[in-house]
Amino acid sequence: MKPSIIPCAVWKTTLTRDLILFWIIATSSLCAGLFINQFRDKPLPLVYQSKAERLKQAVSKMASEKAAPPALTGEVLNSNLSLEQFRAFTEGKKGLVLDARPEIFHRLGHVPGALSLSRDDFEKAYAKVKDLLEKDKNQALVLYCATSSCEDSHLVQTALSKLGYTNVAIFTGGWAAWTQANLPEEVNP
Amino acid sequence: MKRFINNKWFLLIIRCLIGGLFIYAGAIKIGNPQSFADSIETFKLLPAYLIGIVALGLPPFEVIMGTLLIVGRYKRVAALAILFLSVIFAIAILQGLIRGLPIDCGCLGGGAPSEAKAWISLFRDLLLILASWFLYRREVMNGILLIPRNFF
Repeated sequence: MKPSIIPCAVWKTTLTRDLILFWIIATSSLCAGLFINQFRDKPLPLVYQSKAERLKQAVSKMASEKAAPPALTGEVLNSNLSLEQFRAFTEGKKGLVLDARPEIFHRLGHVPGALSLSRDDFEKAYAKVKDLLEKDKNQALVLYCATSSCEDSHLVQTALSKLGYTNVAIFTGGWAAWTQANLPEEVNP
Repeated sequence: MKRFINNKWFLLIIRCLIGGLFIYAGAIKIGNPQSFADSIETFKLLPAYLIGIVALGLPPFEVIMGTLLIVGRYKRVAALAILFLSVIFAIAILQGLIRGLPIDCGCLGGGAPSEAKAWISLFRDLLLILASWFLYRREVMNGILLIPRNFF
């Protein structure tokens, strides 16, 4: 018959044996993780760099190749746009709308006409929309990210300012406010 | 009830569900360690020099333990590891909720921080703690039958 209470001595020996194997597997997993990391296109640095630090690095690398920003001539946008203001902006096609969320979310659904400029992989995303953006550094640009609490649009706004863009605003409500208002969405295949 | 929860098919389903969940969670994180590192950072628990190590070491560990649990080899250690990880995750989420941090669990891939999602993750972790404790205790109990009578 099976005992219903496990004796203390059994717990001790079993747990000790299990913990030894546990640590062996944990150490092997770490070694496997470090090994796999060497073969990535962009290996993860062992010391964590925050989103802001990573973006700053990418921008400073790009900014060194750029010329000085042109003088401001166009209409200046408010730095934060409400849903109504943003709607009027998109419907009136007054400038470019940029989606700062990771590219995968942009593909799943975005504000009609918005271009992906993800904070996640800023360098790559910027290269894709560079021609459109650099045509006029004073053109009105509006950024948005997932919700009102996400930081991606603010980080990308700072990055664009450093690259010489003078008229960059943020739609504070983000994608969450847009979808909650049942406004049209566009999906990329 | 006792007969039902000790049924070998029921146990196999539980092992496959938990093991599958850990394999899936680990595989997603192996695919995007940067996003997982960003999720860990939102908990404000680890210093920068440990976040990278955890982001690289934990996902393969989850995959290995999930596989061992399903395959049935070293399943006692796998159940213990899953119990240990679930307790750590639950504590991390709970402290984030108490401190009012905008945490992104990152358990099944990264996303936007959300309090509702954190509560769901906490509930899932509590279920995992119960299930893995049940599996571990059962395996230890089974081990007793293999120990000679004069052991005690």
